[in-house]
Amino acid sequence: MTLVTVLRPAGAAARPEKRSELPHELGGMLRLLTCGSVDDGKSTLIGRLLWDASDLYEDQRETLKRSGRTAGGTANPDFSLLLDGLVAEREQGITIDIAWRYFDTGTRRFVIIDSPGHEQYTRNMASGASHADLAIMLVDARHGVKKQTRRHAAILDLVGLKRVILAVNKMDLVDWSEERFRQIEADFRTLTWRFGFWEAIAIPVAAVHGDNVARRSDHMPWYKGPHLLEHLEELPSRGTSATGPFRFPVQTVLRDGRDFRALAGTVSSGTVRVGDTLADVLSGKSARVARIATMDRDLVEAAQGKAVALQLDQDIDVARGAVLAKSDALPVVARTLEARLVWLNETPFEPRASYLLRTATDLVPVSSLEIKALLDLETLASRPSAICQVNDIAIAYISLGRGVAIDKFTDAPETGSFMLVDAISGASIAAGVANSLGTEAGASPANAFLLTRAMLERGLCADLRDSPEDQRELRRRANEVALVLRAAGIAVEIESFEDYQI
Amino acid sequence: MTAAISHLDLLEAESIHIFREAAAQFRRPVLLYSIGKDSTVLLHLARKAFWPARLPFPLLHIDTTWKFRDMIAFRDKTARDFGLDLIVHINEEGLAKGINPIDYAPSVYTDVMKTVPLKQALDKYQFDAAFGGARRDEEASRAKERVFSFRSEGHRWDPRRQRPELWRLLNGRLGAGETVRVFPLSNWTEKDIWRYILREKLEVVPLYFAAERPTIERNGQLLVLDDDRLPLRPGEEVKQRRVRFRTLGCWPLTAAVPSDAADIEAVVAETLSARTSERQGRLIDHDQAGAMEKKKQEGYF
Repeated sequence: MTLVTVLRPAGAAARPEKRSELPHELGGMLRLLTCGSVDDGKSTLIGRLLWDASDLYEDQRETLKRSGRTAGGTANPDFSLLLDGLVAEREQGITIDIAWRYFDTGTRRFVIIDSPGHEQYTRNMASGASHADLAIMLVDARHGVKKQTRRHAAILDLVGLKRVILAVNKMDLVDWSEERFRQIEADFRTLTWRFGFWEAIAIPVAAVHGDNVARRSDHMPWYKGPHLLEHLEELPSRGTSATGPFRFPVQTVLRDGRDFRALAGTVSSGTVRVGDTLADVLSGKSARVARIATMDRDLVEAAQGKAVALQLDQDIDVARGAVLAKSDALPVVARTLEARLVWLNETPFEPRASYLLRTATDLVPVSSLEIKALLDLETLASRPSAICQVNDIAIAYISLGRGVAIDKFTDAPETGSFMLVDAISGASIAAGVANSLGTEAGASPANAFLLTRAMLERGLCADLRDSPEDQRELRRRANEVALVLRAAGIAVEIESFEDYQI
Repeated sequence: MTAAISHLDLLEAESIHIFREAAAQFRRPVLLYSIGKDSTVLLHLARKAFWPARLPFPLLHIDTTWKFRDMIAFRDKTARDFGLDLIVHINEEGLAKGINPIDYAPSVYTDVMKTVPLKQALDKYQFDAAFGGARRDEEASRAKERVFSFRSEGHRWDPRRQRPELWRLLNGRLGAGETVRVFPLSNWTEKDIWRYILREKLEVVPLYFAAERPTIERNGQLLVLDDDRLPLRPGEEVKQRRVRFRTLGCWPLTAAVPSDAADIEAVVAETLSARTSERQGRLIDHDQAGAMEKKKQEGYF
């Protein structure tokens, strides 16, 4: 009976985890991006993984067996049918998008983010990769590392992915040749070496037959490494890293109508403890953490990934857009940034268009956006360019209408990444990471118009008072005025209000 | 040094983050409350996101007038207990025309009594964002849904206008006439919902628990009679059966299942192990029984 393959190999199942303490909870979560094209057998690989390792519903298995379709010349069901939605979509030629699938093994939740691999889907792959902990890149053993593999590696590196697996598929079609595999593995090493990956390993598989997917292959005794699922189970779960600098992008301010006022947000990096002194670089003010509040209980400490409300010992006027940090490692109040970005929108870059820069929680008008170069994904070299369109990866120089609290992507990824937003349609135009930051106002608009607070207060904002809500509204109007002026071709700067936030 | 976080804690933090992002970016959000288990989790996460402040948005329930009485009672009690601002909206026009789930096709009924009134309410109160409990694991077509799902004027969903979402950045800037549906439970699975209800000790509608209820069998399904509006067909007989519901909706359209799971622990056990028995029955041959037993001890189920 072939169905016994539903059981994971005893070795993987017996991994010691303290399961008894969490009867209904899984130990952790791992998000994997799968990238490759249909031709490489990607759907078959994912389908096989689901079939062999997951808690698929029995009716899904029955349907698959009854479909009568078999996988490439074998007696096995066509596992790619488990991803039927995608296949149908392809046949109908609808926009191919990333799809999310979930499965549990005994110890953890796996999230599969499936992204299309072809060149015209660079943006989809970049979005998918930005949510993943690791990527499985797929190649056909007959063809080896291709241009497409290079392009994939460059995109993964751009969004900050640190672990990659190369699944060398269809090993059965190269007679399970060790020589062929080693050659591909060597090409892969040469390729990944130039990127910032922490870990890059190659595994020889034959997805159709299940070889080295969730069980060790009998055909490749020369391969001593882990099979795919084994490797996945050994990787650390999505976790909390205590090593990064503490960052807390403030999402909103919570008040209970009495004396409770706290800053709500998610710790995006590092750890905070009660008593720590935190600074807001935008206002230059600092205060101590009096309380780390959640509805369940107060905490002594909150680490990366935790959503909490911080109550400070002094009522400093901090609001959405601020990034709280410790004084020994502060974010930068940047007026200019050099960035790598992937163009997401069908509308190409237009120098006169109005863009906004969206950071973790801030939104600031862009006073000028210049494309410097495009990355050639085939050669991985950059070539000068002033234009940029969908799926391009560009080096860009951005000047902002006012300072924004931001990091270099390599220092703190979550507060070092951003989105460019079309000010009129609201569309997400590009996604980027900050390479370097400048604190001085951009040099280009030498005769920029200065939009001052006083100017706004006497007319447009005459109805506003000093309440936090009104001040927020004032800043919103300042941004909108700046956008209108810029659309009219006037370079504009917003006066740096001492307590400026949005 | 990296420490793993339990998957429910990760999901919870992600949902809270989404709630806060939406509340900060949209001017007039609303939470679509449908009383069921997903709504229960959604509401709980919303309360966590803004605690100790009041929810910065109201709840909206589209009442078809055919919900189980227990659901309505639960809804009103929930609103009272948590001091929530609850808006109940009914399509009065549909009601006057007598559109009901017995005499009309489900598609007609659903459109007139659910979809239309939802649009009416969103327009009437000028909501620009509506939180919903949809999950990506529900079906293949949802697997691609965004966390912020944009609707053009007239509440139309245009796949080409959906925005790519990267990292944790959620872009909520609306174009003219646009509104958005926000799905904080996007990455939850059905099992997670029940696990979380158990972990957080959340109260749910009693219909989820097994009890003796007046039922009839129709088209091979068990219907629980909630009032006398459903005419019996010849040969149908009302019988007391021990049943519960896995999902809740309009009572003439919602089938019950025979069950003995009378409390939350039993329901969770039944949900989590629903496939186990099938698996044990069909998939494990005797050679593998030991391995399965071992997995069981490790908490696989």
